[in-house]
Amino acid sequence: MSYFQRLRSAFSGLLILLYVVILLLLPEQGYALAVLLLSISLLIKGVRKLIYYFTLARHMVGGKSVLYHALIMIDLSIFTIHVASMTSLTILIYLLGIYVFSGAVDILRALEARKYGTHFWKLKLINGIIGVAFALVLFVIGISSHSTILMLIGYCITLVYSAVLKILSAFRKTAIVYIQ
Amino acid sequence: MNPDFHYYATYCAAFLAGYSHEEAMSICYSDQFVDLCSKSLLSKLRAPLEAATTQLQLELMDAMTDIVGLQDITRIWASFHFLPRDLVAEPPRHCSVLYRNKYRLICGPNGELLRMTVELARNKGLQAVGIAMHILADTWAHQYFAGTPSMVINNTNYHFYELLTENGKEIEKKISFRHSASAPDDLEKSIYTCSLNHDSENSIMQLGHGRAGHLPDYSFIRYKYLPAWGYYEEIIKDNPSDYKHAFCQMIYAMKYLRGEHESFETKQYDTAAVAPYEEEIEQIIRKRQLDASEDWKAFGEKLSGQTIEPFDLEKYQSEYTDAAPEQKDGTYLGQFLIAALAQKSMVTNQIFQTGSRLAGYSINYRKKGLKGVKAYHKLLEQTKGGEDS
Repeated sequence: MSYFQRLRSAFSGLLILLYVVILLLLPEQGYALAVLLLSISLLIKGVRKLIYYFTLARHMVGGKSVLYHALIMIDLSIFTIHVASMTSLTILIYLLGIYVFSGAVDILRALEARKYGTHFWKLKLINGIIGVAFALVLFVIGISSHSTILMLIGYCITLVYSAVLKILSAFRKTAIVYIQ
Repeated sequence: MNPDFHYYATYCAAFLAGYSHEEAMSICYSDQFVDLCSKSLLSKLRAPLEAATTQLQLELMDAMTDIVGLQDITRIWASFHFLPRDLVAEPPRHCSVLYRNKYRLICGPNGELLRMTVELARNKGLQAVGIAMHILADTWAHQYFAGTPSMVINNTNYHFYELLTENGKEIEKKISFRHSASAPDDLEKSIYTCSLNHDSENSIMQLGHGRAGHLPDYSFIRYKYLPAWGYYEEIIKDNPSDYKHAFCQMIYAMKYLRGEHESFETKQYDTAAVAPYEEEIEQIIRKRQLDASEDWKAFGEKLSGQTIEPFDLEKYQSEYTDAAPEQKDGTYLGQFLIAALAQKSMVTNQIFQTGSRLAGYSINYRKKGLKGVKAYHKLLEQTKGGEDS
């Protein structure tokens, strides 16, 4: 990881923590801000991936996955903007849905790592399963109680968790193979 | 390639090419030193950092992957470990200029740059010969990978099979990879260490053959896989054949460097020099082991009747550090550094002339004068009136 990547990781972790504070203090405005930020970041990532695909990755073995990745991100970005006009319960359910999706991606990546024969897939798998299970539990509680408070707190916990991971990863040693 | 080939096998090739024991020792030391001459070591020696021929783990971990950092990485790895086979190659399908520039950096044997590399070492010291032999051998071992971080060129996927012969029958055994740098490769279970699959074009994980682990560095192994740039066409990497070609070509190249041949031509192999020892060499190359140093050492000592001392990183350091500033260039390491600068300068210039900036900028001395990095002024002193840049 380069200095810039470390700085970026730590900075994005701190931004997420700041956002958690806003969300807890001003939930109504926080929801709209969350949706807007999410949509913009998805759009930027999607467009960058799309450019990468058309300039380089379309020639690569397995490069189509970059295109699908880009299209899914742009699609999600457009959909996210539409969610902003809905009720806070719907917005929270959507945000939790995104969290389930990211947990599912973790599970798929862990299974892929296992396919490669690496021994480091278990932690990622557990991480993904806990993420999905946690989001589903919050979803069930929110739907049955018709209350957004618990869902909001639960969502904030997931955000704090990912912020801490980002900050920790900024200081993590990243071992690589020395090629000779 | 590992020290077994870069040090001991190079000694054997140099001796078979006609060099004396002492000369062969100097050549193989220089060959192996290419894998150790990092900026960290040069900093300790107070030598020009631009002459670095490799990057250590920690250096790579902290390497900036901005444009300047990438150019520095590419200069080092493309010049010394992944010499491009064809700088004017056209990918089989229409593509962007950026993709084409990366594609052209794919390493391979018998390219025009190899000819220029060997010719550059002629009439220079034994250190230049060692550097050229390192590069030549790596063009065989590291072929199909590029010396620049690039996912679209260097990435691999799970489609990896070792090709073995059991009871006279050819079988395929699935290769598994893990990412534990400290764990040794497990030959019995075909479990090897490789770099992580980082979903980023310029990640250090995507430099050279990191994604294929050390497979290209083992002489015994044969395997097939799908290179990222290969449009789903399988490649069979036959290391025993490649290593034997490398050995024979090194002998031919060193005979040229000694003046036995008028010119150096690619695709020429001195099989005649190897013929009396063919069976022994084949056995060493094909033996299933992680380190063939002992076998190559024994073969070399049998050839020359002399003891091949183990590689000692410190061997020439005090000679260099104790020398007066004006005498440093005349020391063993001083000559190595000048030869390394010349090689890096030549390869950077050749890549630059194709319009690619992946290895950075190259300034033609005759047109612009001494406007480049100061360390390269040494080359001017050595090659007065030259065109080095």
